[in-house]
Amino acid sequence: MLSPKMISDENPQNIRIKFRKVGMLRYISHLDLQRTFAKVIVRSGIPAWYTKGFNPHAKLVFALPLSIGTQSECELLDIRLSRYMSCDEVKERLNSVLTDELSVIDVYEPESKFQDIGYAKYEINIVTNGASDDMADNIRALFSKKPILMFKHTKSGEKEIDIAPLIDTLNVSYDGECDLIRLSATLSATSENYLSPEMLITAMKDSLEILSTDIMSENYTIMRTALYLADGKTEFK
Amino acid sequence: MSRNYRERLDNVLRAVQKPGRYCGGEYGQTLKDKEKVKARFAFCFPDSYEIGMSNLGIRILYGVLNREDDIWCERAYAPWPDMEEMMKKYDIPLTAAESGDPLSEFDIIGFTLQYEMCYTNVLNMLKLSGLPLRAEDRGDDMPIVIGGGPCSYNAEPVADFFDCFSIGEGEEALVEFTKLYIKMKEEGRYTKKDFLLEAAKTIGGIYVPSFYDVTYNENGTIKAYTPIYDDIPKKITKRIMKDMDKSYFPDKLVMPYIETVQDRIMLEVYRGCIRGCRFCQAGIIYRPVREKTPAVLCRQAKCLYENTGYDEISLSSLSISDYSQIQDLTTKLLEWTNENKVSLSLPSLRVDSFTKELMDKIATVRSSSLTFAPEAGTQRLRDVINKNVFEDDLMRAVNVAFDAGKTQVKLYFMNGLPTETSEDLEGIAKLATNVVNEYYRNPNRRKGKSPQVTISVACFVPKPFTPFQWETQDTLEEFEEKIEYLGDCVTDRKVRYTHHDPRTSRIEAVLARGDRRLGKALEIACEEGFRFDAWEEYFDYDKWISVIEKAGLDASFYANRRRDDDEIFPWDIIDCGVTKEFLMRERNNAYLGKTTPSCREKCSACGANTLGGERSCCPQK
Ligand code: SF4
Repeated sequence: MLSPKMISDENPQNIRIKFRKVGMLRYISHLDLQRTFAKVIVRSGIPAWYTKGFNPHAKLVFALPLSIGTQSECELLDIRLSRYMSCDEVKERLNSVLTDELSVIDVYEPESKFQDIGYAKYEINIVTNGASDDMADNIRALFSKKPILMFKHTKSGEKEIDIAPLIDTLNVSYDGECDLIRLSATLSATSENYLSPEMLITAMKDSLEILSTDIMSENYTIMRTALYLADGKTEFK
Repeated sequence: MSRNYRERLDNVLRAVQKPGRYCGGEYGQTLKDKEKVKARFAFCFPDSYEIGMSNLGIRILYGVLNREDDIWCERAYAPWPDMEEMMKKYDIPLTAAESGDPLSEFDIIGFTLQYEMCYTNVLNMLKLSGLPLRAEDRGDDMPIVIGGGPCSYNAEPVADFFDCFSIGEGEEALVEFTKLYIKMKEEGRYTKKDFLLEAAKTIGGIYVPSFYDVTYNENGTIKAYTPIYDDIPKKITKRIMKDMDKSYFPDKLVMPYIETVQDRIMLEVYRGCIRGCRFCQAGIIYRPVREKTPAVLCRQAKCLYENTGYDEISLSSLSISDYSQIQDLTTKLLEWTNENKVSLSLPSLRVDSFTKELMDKIATVRSSSLTFAPEAGTQRLRDVINKNVFEDDLMRAVNVAFDAGKTQVKLYFMNGLPTETSEDLEGIAKLATNVVNEYYRNPNRRKGKSPQVTISVACFVPKPFTPFQWETQDTLEEFEEKIEYLGDCVTDRKVRYTHHDPRTSRIEAVLARGDRRLGKALEIACEEGFRFDAWEEYFDYDKWISVIEKAGLDASFYANRRRDDDEIFPWDIIDCGVTKEFLMRERNNAYLGKTTPSCREKCSACGANTLGGERSCCPQK
C-alpha cells in the first residue's frame, strides 16, 4: 500500500470500484458503459491517472463484462489515481454524478487480481407458462445430466461445448407465491471458460417448453450477485 | 397505469435492436413530481433517439422550460420501426423518457421540425400516442400540439395537424405560452380555442393556422390568407433573442448512455450568418447575426465540461470561422482545454478563413479528413449563388491541410442550381482533380500516401425565404442526366464521387414550398404507414407520388414551377425580418452574376436589423 504522500503521476494508486448496474440500464452494452465511465470520472472530479501519449485517457479496467440484459450488484472496475483521495470521498464524488440504476457500492484498495476470479453467481427469475414444482424438477434434471452439449458462438464459428463442468452449483425452486421459477447458479467465470447465464436460458428453451410463447407473458431477469475465487466459495474482493 | 406501460416496455426491450434508445434513466435528466407541477410539456424530436439527443435547440429549450418550477418538460423520440411494431403488437403507447407516461396525458406536446422529411414521423408519433391527427379533432381535454424549428417558417403542409407554431427562437415564447396555459387553467377559463386566441393576440411569434382562411386562385396558387379575427396579427413576426450573452445556455446536459450523432458539448458561438448564400435558408431565417463574447463562451464551455465529462467541444454555428473573435476564443479555450485533455472541433469550415493557426488549434487532427463546401464547380456559378469562395482560397486551404499530413479532402457541391450548364458540372470534376494535383505539388505532403478527394453532390432544393424561392427545381430526368454526366466527367482515380438521391430531394422540394392542401397527402401517407422518410431504407418515392396524387395534387406544381414575381406564397404569412424585396433583389443579382458582400463588409439592407440584436453587424434601425 502506498502512503498518501507517495502517490503521484509517476506512482499512481490503484483503486477498485464496486458498482451496481440494474433496472433499465441492463440494456446498456459494455462498450457504452466504458464510454459512460470515462465521462463519469471526469465530472466527478476525482484525480484519475491518464495514459500518456497521443490520446490520453483515464485507464479503466473492468473485471467481467456483463452482457446486455443482465443486471449486477457486484461489478468491479479498477482505476488509478495520480493523487491521494480517500476511498470514501471517491465513492461520494462518483455517486454524486451517477443515478440509482448505476451507482457505486464500495471503493477500496484492491488486494487481488481479476485473473483470480473463478466463478460468478447469478439469480435468475423466470415467469413462464406452467411454472410449477414439476417444472423445477425438470430443470434440475436437465442440468444434472452429463454431458450437457450446447453450441456456442465463438470467433471461429459455432463450437460444440459441454457446459456441465462449468456449472459449479445450481439450485432450482418454484416460488408459488410469485408464480416464478427461481434459479441460483454459480458458473465458471474465468477468461478461458466463461459461461454466460444466457446459456442456461437457451438450454431450457431448447429442451423444455419454457419461454417459448409471447415475450409479454413469459419473461426472465438475471442478476449477477457475487464473484468467487477458484474454490467457488470464497468471495472475490 | 404508467407503471404498467414501463413494465410492458421493459418486457419488449429484449426483443428490439438498440434497446438503449428506450431505457431512459440518463444522468442529467430533469425529474419532477407530476402532482406538483402545473403544466407538463413533452418535447418531441421526430427522428431517432441518436439524432434527437444531438439537437442543440432541444438541449436549450429543455433547460429553459425546466428552469420554471411549475413546468416539467420531458423528451420523446420516434421509435425505430422494430420498436414501433412491438408497441403496436402489445398496445404500448408512445411515452416520454423521464416519467414513462403516455404523451396523451401531457398538457402540451411540442415538435421540433428540423427537416421536411420528418413530417411523417410527426404524424406517426401522434398516432402512436393515440391522438387524432387533425388539430380540429383534438378536444379541450387533449394536449395542445405546438411546432417550431426551421420548417415552421413554412409549416403549411402540416398546418392541419398543429394547434399552433412558435416562429423563431423559442426560449421566451415557449415559456410565455406555457405560463398563459397555466394561468387560464387556474382561472378556470381554459378552452382550447380561447387559449389559442389569447396566445395569438398576446404572445409574439405564435401562429395559429386555423385562425387564417386560405383561398386559392383557379391556377392553384394562393389568393389570400385572411385572419378570421380582427385582433390577431396579419403577419407573424419571428422571435429572436436579442442579447446572446444574456440568453439561457444549459449548464448541464442529459447524458446519453449510447453513442449519439453529436456526442459532445456543442457550444453555440453565435446565431445567424454574415454570408448570404442564395440557396441557403438558414442564412436568412436566423438573421441578424448575434455574437456571444469569448468570456461568456469560455465560462459556458467550462461549466458544461465539468458537469458532463465530455472531452470534446464543438464550436457550432453556421460558419464558425466567420466569428469575429475566433482567435481570441480559441486561445482562451485552449488555456484550459489542453490541460484537461479536451479537444476542440469545428463542424463547418469556410475555405477563405481556414488558416494554419486555426487548424493547429482544432481537433480535426484526429481524423485524416477535412471538409469544405465550394457548392459549385465554376466561379461563374459560385457568383450566381453568392458563395464568395475562389479556387485560390480552396487551394490554399487544402495545402494547409496537406502540410499537416492530411490526405483526405471532402468537397460538397450542389447540382441543379439556377443557370447551371454542363460546364459547371465539368467544373466540379476539374476542381476535384486540381485538388489531387495540388497534393502532389505540395512538398510537405505525407510521403508514400495517395490523396483521396471525395465529392459529394446534393440536389438543389429551392427553399422558402431564400432568393431562389421563385425558382424551379430540375425534374427527376434532368437530375439523373446530370448525375450521370458528372459521373462520366470524373475520370481521376483519386476522386470518389457520391451523390444524393434526387427522388428524396424532389419530395423535399414539394414539402418545402408546399401549401395546406398537402396535409391531405400527409394524412394518407400516415394511414399507409409512412415513417422515417429521411432514411433511405424507408423512403419510397413511388408511394409518395401516389399519396400526392390521391390527395388530388401534382408534385410538379410544387417542385417544378417557376413562381411569378408577384405570387403570394404560403409562407408570406410569416415575417422573418428579411424582406421579400431584398430576396427579389438578390434573385435578380444572381441572374446578373453579381455577388453581394457579407454583412461585415457592407450592409445590404435586408431588413433584419428591424428585429434588433446585440453584437450584430447591422446598422441601427
Ligand atoms: S440588416 Fe444589413 S447587416 Fe443586418 S443582416 Fe441584413 S444585410 Fe446584414
